[in-house]
Amino acid sequence: MERPGIRIGALAAVIAAIVSLASCASLQRSQDEGDAKRIANLINAGNAQSLAGMSASPFLVDQEIVVLPADVSGFWQNAIAAGFRVDGAALERAAPVTAASYTEFAGTMEVKSFFAQYLKDGARILELSTGAGRRVLLLTRNAWFTLKIHGFKGPF
Amino acid sequence: MKKATLCAALMLLGSLALQAVPTDVTYAEGEATIKSKAGKQQEASIGDVMNTGDTVRTGTAGLVELDQKGITLKLSPNTVLTLMERERGGGASPVLSVALGSLKLRFDKLTGKEPMIRTNGATGGVRGTELSVFSGADGSTLFVVDSGEVRVEAGGESVDLAAEEAVEVRLGQAPGGKFTVHRDQVDYAKWNEDKRAAMLADPAAAMTGIEIAMASYIKDVEQYDALFKEYSAKLADERAARVKITEAKGKGEGERYENEVVFPLMNQTSALGLNLRYSTLAALSLRRYVGGRLYLFLKAKYIARPDEAEWTGFLSRFNALLSDFEKSIAPHLVEADI
Repeated sequence: MERPGIRIGALAAVIAAIVSLASCASLQRSQDEGDAKRIANLINAGNAQSLAGMSASPFLVDQEIVVLPADVSGFWQNAIAAGFRVDGAALERAAPVTAASYTEFAGTMEVKSFFAQYLKDGARILELSTGAGRRVLLLTRNAWFTLKIHGFKGPF
Repeated sequence: MKKATLCAALMLLGSLALQAVPTDVTYAEGEATIKSKAGKQQEASIGDVMNTGDTVRTGTAGLVELDQKGITLKLSPNTVLTLMERERGGGASPVLSVALGSLKLRFDKLTGKEPMIRTNGATGGVRGTELSVFSGADGSTLFVVDSGEVRVEAGGESVDLAAEEAVEVRLGQAPGGKFTVHRDQVDYAKWNEDKRAAMLADPAAAMTGIEIAMASYIKDVEQYDALFKEYSAKLADERAARVKITEAKGKGEGERYENEVVFPLMNQTSALGLNLRYSTLAALSLRRYVGGRLYLFLKAKYIARPDEAEWTGFLSRFNALLSDFEKSIAPHLVEADI
């Protein structure tokens, strides 16, 4: 016959696991929101230099794999100079990168290979809505308090 | 199916008399990376050895010097150089592929086995000892000869350059008229900036050049692919015939058949596989370093005005180009190429 103490202990362990998982999810959500906000703030502040510094190499823009860091830097500079902003940006969705995630950027062999070769564990897809009614996708990875941007798509 | 063809092509390449020469990194400064044929990326350092299929890229302040057994190669900043091979005279012949940027070459001596030089829009056969190759943002190429001779080919036409002569080749076109230029007189940065500005001023014209060049590469890939499959089938038949001959007439007759029929056919098939691979990578270079960069420039320019006619018109043509690339070229690529 099972003792009541054991049942209570098991229940406590299950509750602890659920709370722990919930707090993990909550922590992840909080980190995603922080990352999205940080990048959106840099775009809105016109800080192309910091965006370039945070951008990984190679970098993905829509379906294009950009291998030269100078081109990534030029992209941010020119986009900011052309008036690109994400005013009122809000994180709509955040998800880990999976084997099928490449199709969100482009369903091509090149983009599939980019995801397979250059995105390490922990990479996230962040979808932001902007005040202008459009959306952008960001490919990010935050490890050891260092945020890297691996890709950008939009606005669409 | 196509992946199987590619694997067969890569396996057969080993049967060609390879002339690939290891290339040593003798100097590296600033940002410079090497991407190996297997897809591994590392910082370029003095003492590194590059082989066929490897790519070296320099950053904004990067400089790299390579030694390819008697040939000194100096890469300027923002340059992409891939060591390739293609079939020439029945064997594998080295090709220096300058996808972007500028490369200066100096040959200690000429042996008759000098590598061919290719850019996105032209090829150069070297008979000179010192020359520079500039591969511009719009796919244009500038060959400048300091000493010796170089034959430049593009669009089915060729022009021979002697010392202190130069020629410009626009993407998808034959070489222009040659002109005189003195040593180190060319300001590559200014030339490239002029090319970039002209490309952005008339993206429709730039796109036309890319479409012509891509169509030519796709045609080559489709022809080589069809021939490669045909020869691979013939090779399989002849190998089966060789087994039957050995069984019916003995080992000696089998070996004679192998040497007289199978081996030459294997070399021909290998050469086709090599050229298929060469044309595939040339198309990838065009798509990435000219088409992709044009997309990036225009994307940034119109990112806040995506309904502008110039952007939507470009996008329509660019998407058609991507669709052709995905259908005809991508099946011949492997993940490590990306």
